[in-house]
Amino acid sequence: MSGKVSRQILLYGVVCLAILLVPLLVNDAYLLNKYAHYLIFGMLAVALSLSWGYAGILNLGQAMTFGIGSYCMAMFLKLKTVPIHTGSDGLPDFMVWNNVTELPWIWVPFHSMPVALLAGILVPALLAALLGWFMFGGRIAGVYAAIITLAAMVVVNLIIIDQQSYTGGFNGITDLAQFDVFGLTFDAYSASTYYLIATCLTVTLFLALAVSRSKTGLILQAVRDQEERVRFFGYDVALYKTFVFALSAAIAGLAGMLYTIVMEFASPTFLGVPLSLSIVIWVAVGGRQSLIGAMLGALFVTGVQGALSESEAFLETWTLVMGGLFVLIVLFMPKGLAGAFEALARRFPKTERTVGAHHATEQPSKSRPHLGGAL
Amino acid sequence: MDFVVSQILTGLSLSSILLLVALGLAIIYGVTGVINLAHGEFVMLGAYCAWLLQTELGWSLIPSLAVVFVAIAALGWLIEVAVIRHLYDRPLDTILATWGLGVMTQQIVRLTAGGELRYVQMPPSLSGSVRILGATDSAYRLFVLGVALGLFVLTWCIYRYTSFGLKLRAITQNRAIASSFGINSARAYRLTFAYGAGIAGLAGALISPLKSVSPEMGTTYVVDAFMVVVLGGVQSLVGTLASSAVLGEASGLLAYYSNDTIAKALVLIAIVIIIRFRPQGLFALRVRA
Repeated sequence: MSGKVSRQILLYGVVCLAILLVPLLVNDAYLLNKYAHYLIFGMLAVALSLSWGYAGILNLGQAMTFGIGSYCMAMFLKLKTVPIHTGSDGLPDFMVWNNVTELPWIWVPFHSMPVALLAGILVPALLAALLGWFMFGGRIAGVYAAIITLAAMVVVNLIIIDQQSYTGGFNGITDLAQFDVFGLTFDAYSASTYYLIATCLTVTLFLALAVSRSKTGLILQAVRDQEERVRFFGYDVALYKTFVFALSAAIAGLAGMLYTIVMEFASPTFLGVPLSLSIVIWVAVGGRQSLIGAMLGALFVTGVQGALSESEAFLETWTLVMGGLFVLIVLFMPKGLAGAFEALARRFPKTERTVGAHHATEQPSKSRPHLGGAL
Repeated sequence: MDFVVSQILTGLSLSSILLLVALGLAIIYGVTGVINLAHGEFVMLGAYCAWLLQTELGWSLIPSLAVVFVAIAALGWLIEVAVIRHLYDRPLDTILATWGLGVMTQQIVRLTAGGELRYVQMPPSLSGSVRILGATDSAYRLFVLGVALGLFVLTWCIYRYTSFGLKLRAITQNRAIASSFGINSARAYRLTFAYGAGIAGLAGALISPLKSVSPEMGTTYVVDAFMVVVLGGVQSLVGTLASSAVLGEASGLLAYYSNDTIAKALVLIAIVIIIRFRPQGLFALRVRA
């Protein structure tokens, strides 16, 4: 068992190191910016894998917490812009256009960097905790929980679009200052931003790994497989689920903040249904029950999409192929590519050891997911 | 008085569209337990079918309804055979698979028919307006209301008075025991799915003269229809009728008194709260085990 753990840590370490070394090979600012995008999507995939793969909470509104994080960062960077962009009295330009005369109270705390950075993580986490407490406290699970997360995201999206004078409405928040801390400036098209994001991804990945291997992580997996039984053992199932839901939201919030730095604006599309669907697809393709699988799934899918996006026709066909691939994976490979690799890895050493290959081939098919069902 | 009547008629028109779209979803969900997120795409395909028949063959809308129903029902049948039937014991995965199917359908339509808005002509015989109690309403909207109610009654009669309906009710109560009494539940599920899809296609064709036709049009309808089903209660056809009436009139009023966005957000919040405290819906008496 401990050999397995150290092998897992080694694998995660190697992947993260490879990601961190990319800027040494790539010297193109445009490409680095593109890769930074993919890494942020990788963080989102890790967040969803925690709640969906490990606790069985299918969050169809993961983009909600992502978008809120991104707006927190955008509000902070907007207030830092030089006065020429901000109208009279240091008001953001879109507020001036909407005849707002003084800074709304909700914007005031965002003058301070520590507050803004904390808000980008804590506001999504608290909101998710509230929603989680509301759902899981009432023992809402499965399909209904999925629909509630989707509805919650649409509500937040509608409110942001509607409150144009405070949020910039459809246009979002544009013309932002560059993020700088301790004298380091993070230009969207620079290696420093890439390193910042790669570091955050590494920390997130190892944090998620630690949680998944902790006692809490084991209980969560038990909840995913047999919720009633865990409840009968006396565990507060709602509390555990709410915790992982909030943690996943915090990661998504952090990813959202980084996304604002890379995109140089925040927009209501960041909380949209299409992005949420994409996150689910990445995680399903990579393997929902493997953190690194989910992350690599995101990098792979968005990478191919990015490479094809040079040509409009290719991109359109790609969406079609993606949809088909997704349906096939849901049907035949519920554990995604990571599950397929694991099954392969499990099969090979066994066939070497036991000559009676019949027994060895039986084993993996028994551990196939979902076929057990609740009979 | 005129205002009240016309407000009620506006609400009724919204209700009839909701009922048309939600009926198919309610049947599929009620019988098989599958949340079909591709339902909106069935509606969209129905609308495109009507558009295609009109622009290519010059058919009027009313005769093309039969063709639309058969075509979309056949598609639903195929989808059930190819995808859905493998997923009946994995409800979360049906959401994902139907979502993926929806994305594919949208993309296929966008690639073949193009992404621009399309328009379908009203049947000329119904393009006039009718006076009711001092208010005027378009004859076509009344026609849609009539068709929606007719379909509802037809479905209800199938469910109540035919032997197929009896089998469906048995399967809904307990699939395993129904199967052991010799009811072919796989076939019943397949027919239910096809019928639900066909009704969605009809809904799309009937809506097409009232709204513009685009590849994305289904997305809004599936959310609305789902709200109707949740509010009405999973297994109650009458609940679906009642909740589409309530939601139609309510959205008509809210849209009149405030702005659309906030009205929609409020309705969604109400739905979330209803799911939390009454997951069986407002009008359902029994709950699926």
